Amino acid sequence: MNTAADQKPVPGYHGKYLRVDVSDGSQQQVPIPPQILRKYIGGVGLGTWLLLREDGAHQLPLAPSSVLAFIFSPLVGSSLTTSAKFAVVSKSPLTERLNDSLASSAFAIAGKRAGCDAIAIVGKAALPSILVIDGGQARLDPAGEVWGMTCGDAEAALRERYDIDFQIAVIGPAGERQVCYATISHDGRHAGRGGSGAVLGAKNIKAVVVRGSKSCEWAKPAELVSFAKELSKRSFGPATAKYRELGTATNLLLFNRLNTLPTRNFQQSSFEGAQRLAPETLSVAREHTRAYCAACTIGCEHIYSLNDGASDKRQGVRLEYENLFALGPLCGIDDPDIVLRASKLCDELGLDTISAGGTIAFAMECVERGVLDQPALRFGDGDALLNAIESIASREGFGDLLAEGSRRLAEHIGHDTINFAAQVKGLEIPGYEPRAMQTMALGFATGSRGADHNRSSAYEVDFSDQGDRRALTTDAVPLAIETEDNAAIMDSLIICKFLRGVFGDFYIEAAEMLNLVTGWNTTSEELHEVASRIADIKKLFNLRAGWTAAEDTLPQRFFESLSDDPAASLSREHLGAATQAYYAARGWTSKGRLRNEDSFGL
Amino acid sequence: MATMSIRVEFYGIPRSHAGVEFTTIEFEQDGILLGDVLSNLSQRFPNLAECIEADRLKPEYRASVDGDRFVSGRDEMLSAGSSLLIMSADAGG
Repeated sequence: MNTAADQKPVPGYHGKYLRVDVSDGSQQQVPIPPQILRKYIGGVGLGTWLLLREDGAHQLPLAPSSVLAFIFSPLVGSSLTTSAKFAVVSKSPLTERLNDSLASSAFAIAGKRAGCDAIAIVGKAALPSILVIDGGQARLDPAGEVWGMTCGDAEAALRERYDIDFQIAVIGPAGERQVCYATISHDGRHAGRGGSGAVLGAKNIKAVVVRGSKSCEWAKPAELVSFAKELSKRSFGPATAKYRELGTATNLLLFNRLNTLPTRNFQQSSFEGAQRLAPETLSVAREHTRAYCAACTIGCEHIYSLNDGASDKRQGVRLEYENLFALGPLCGIDDPDIVLRASKLCDELGLDTISAGGTIAFAMECVERGVLDQPALRFGDGDALLNAIESIASREGFGDLLAEGSRRLAEHIGHDTINFAAQVKGLEIPGYEPRAMQTMALGFATGSRGADHNRSSAYEVDFSDQGDRRALTTDAVPLAIETEDNAAIMDSLIICKFLRGVFGDFYIEAAEMLNLVTGWNTTSEELHEVASRIADIKKLFNLRAGWTAAEDTLPQRFFESLSDDPAASLSREHLGAATQAYYAARGWTSKGRLRNEDSFGL
Repeated sequence: MATMSIRVEFYGIPRSHAGVEFTTIEFEQDGILLGDVLSNLSQRFPNLAECIEADRLKPEYRASVDGDRFVSGRDEMLSAGSSLLIMSADAGG
């Protein structure tokens, strides 16, 4: 009788994950049934299933028993543009809910060539270590002098230590010290949100180093190449021009004009220094170049020189809208050199820029209000920002509290400061003012990992003629769900969201991609069901982690008027009604729970 | 009748193609149709052909009146004194 392990895997997959217990170095190949692959695809969908299978929801995020997994996807290794991506999933030390972060490039390709669809890590190494996965076999090497290094230095040192065909994902000093929003970095890109770097650090793992030679079959290789060529051609067109030619940072001036640019811890929605920070200004005054992820034809990364003139990948600064907003207007900083240096510091130390900026901005407002005795922390003080970032990564002095994120900091300070700690479920709010973008407010409130612009792109609804962005109604709910479902499929295939504008009917084309890779006969209707299932399984994880409906809201600040945009008023009642409509549309109970929590077989 | 005007502001890629941050369109009625504004722009700024097709924005771009209301129909009437913002459709960050 054949076992699952004996069966030929579905094309595009290896049909198993590598499970490594770094406490003792033991490892096993765990089969993934084909029906599970079809139900959850890969990336965040498959990752959530894997976490639940490993009982990850019930573990403390930083305990040895916790699980962290790198998840690949069926498209990785194909010639489809932007497909070299991986997900990192764990329980978040920041939110204590599901955390799924994505990053890109050659690590995804090397990881999949190791012969598995995911690498799950449990346990805690006795000493700081490097997890080496070579040809599907795992071993632990001493981290040695690499422990303590910045992300960039550690990756460079490990490139010297290991053969050139290894790919490397590292944590920085922030991950080593278990800062709750520490990142995992690969080639300068970060699985950024929610603190996956802290989880790896708690396991005493400085880096995962991987290579392999096991390719997957493709069901229809010739047709797949033709499809990939056509998709690449479209990726050079107008739908990606913004990312290619200017980068995401070009949002800054537009958001400033629309009063959607969070400023000084969300006290205002426009910033008088926006023009100084805008990429349109920066690119005149300093060296500027672009970079690409592996297997990408867009090239959205815009790298700016510091005032020392360096603009290459190692010395320059990748500038995105989110780090620009969080380390600039949110902290009242209008000096571009400070913002670039702060962004580079976060990248080197391995810190999520949104949570770092959000937590520091919150502390600055506490100082301004006289409820926190840290006189150096003032809005607009660049040195204070840079010193705070350093102290967070080292957990020295007040940095030890900042390292816990704004929610826990507010709980420590008291004085009702939780009302203006700009977070949802503990995750700091990204650069979209919720009162002026109220469909996005719903996306933030109901997001499975907290305030999140990557798993819900409800801002697309706010920036359209489908409704009034300052007046949330239940009519926006199906539109918000549509953006969340689109993201669930993109994040599971995995393919870059910056491609979304090139598709005619995304679900039809996504099904075609999947069928060319796997040989399935997936339909767009089936993918809609997959998207709903992924929303359900994320909910299942959070329910098991202790979620209640009280978490699906925004802090009190966002139910009060914006001083510089009084028309942007969000009521608790309107958000509550939309949240109820969201639960109903998802098929959940009025308390936001699944109707049948046993239906997943987990 | 007195000459009226609206201000057109460009953001992101439309600004790159227009080569200016803003411009003014003058007319002699109380208002002007969005389609007529776009036609005017495409004649004055030939590089905006990347963004405007005849009297419509291409799907990759959006327009907003005063930043308050997003508009797309060519028959949308814009009042004198208003500002029309033209931007990329994708606000992803």
